[in-house]
Amino acid sequence: MPEIDDNQLVKRVAQGDERAFLTLYDCYASRVHALTLRILGDPMLAEEATQDTFLKLWSRAHMYLAERGSLLLWLLTIARRTALDRLRLETRRPLLSDSKDPTEVWKTIPDRDSLPEENRWRSLHFAVEALSPEHRQVIELAYYQGLSQSEIAEVLGWPIGTVKTRLRVAMERLRQEWGAG
Amino acid sequence: MTYYEHIPFRENIPAYALGALDAEDVAALEAHLQTCASCRDELAVYRATSDNLLMTLPPQKPSTAIRRRLQRRLPSAQTSMRPRLNWSIGRMAVGMAIILMLALNVFSISQVRVLQRQQTQLMDQMQNGQEALAMLSYSNTQTFPINTESVTGSLLLDKEYNNAVLILRGLPSITADQTYQVWLIAPNGERTDAGLLRPQIDRPFISEVIYSTQDLSNFVGIGMTVEPAGGSDHPTGQQVFRVDF
Repeated sequence: MPEIDDNQLVKRVAQGDERAFLTLYDCYASRVHALTLRILGDPMLAEEATQDTFLKLWSRAHMYLAERGSLLLWLLTIARRTALDRLRLETRRPLLSDSKDPTEVWKTIPDRDSLPEENRWRSLHFAVEALSPEHRQVIELAYYQGLSQSEIAEVLGWPIGTVKTRLRVAMERLRQEWGAG
Repeated sequence: MTYYEHIPFRENIPAYALGALDAEDVAALEAHLQTCASCRDELAVYRATSDNLLMTLPPQKPSTAIRRRLQRRLPSAQTSMRPRLNWSIGRMAVGMAIILMLALNVFSISQVRVLQRQQTQLMDQMQNGQEALAMLSYSNTQTFPINTESVTGSLLLDKEYNNAVLILRGLPSITADQTYQVWLIAPNGERTDAGLLRPQIDRPFISEVIYSTQDLSNFVGIGMTVEPAGGSDHPTGQQVFRVDF
């Protein structure tokens, strides 16, 4: 399978190349949609946020700078903000239940063709899943619901100090996992 | 700074990397980060972790409808929806004559465009100035002073009408590949792009209307940074000022 050079593709998108745009869509739509669905929890809203993300790719392709990070990271950052903005507009209450979705499954055996980074992302995913429910919940509310520490404290009914400690401990564990890769 | 004085800042770094630090703590941490290389290194590590959290979700294929909707929004789909023209020889001759006339008048047309651009800029400046004057007369308009080492001015804010105007003097000059970018600051520290501006060399001050598609009541501050031309998705450059409201 020929390697797709993201930098070349996004430059072509910046010049109005529609085929390059659809190639990037086909490559990354599933990743973007996984994130918007996780944040919004509603398939229709998630599809709209996914569509908006790629429309922003079309209009902002000229702003992408490869030295700042991968195209996928840039796209997912846009997707997260788009979805969080939509979440705030919809004034949706944060999801308090355990975020585990039975359809959200990584294969435990890595593909032979998978990139080294994908193995690290899988490990980080499992590290998140391995957190205690309390620690996983603060990560979920902070990162996938866009809440501040004081907002998390209010939603969960915890003292602010407890939220700060749990969030710090959770991030330290994830940092160790990521750094060990 | 002693190790113990660092602790409160270091403890806030993971939350800041996640975008979850409360607004009242963000300013203090950001000020500290400007002077502390070790905390900046610490932040870089936590940012790498939080960035890669984005990648940890297993892919979920969206419906094929999204791709179709995106294709319909692309320029080629828009063009194909317009009625096609039948090109007769007569029409082609007329077209060639028009092209010839345009080619012969290229210099005049470019001059006219330069004048039109200048006229548009002047009208924008007039409109910004009128907007600022109008806001000063509203009783609900709040005024927030801006006072840094190099930049002075004011932020005029009317949350009822969702209007804001920045009046600034003394903006340092920037290079041709840079721009100033304005950010609206949310309570959790997240920044939302509020537009780009490049001050004109011959004007000592600027007034700029801030347009937001969102309710300004959702934000707690406004800031400006120096960014690469074309702007950035999030602040990456030097902060010019920040004002909380």
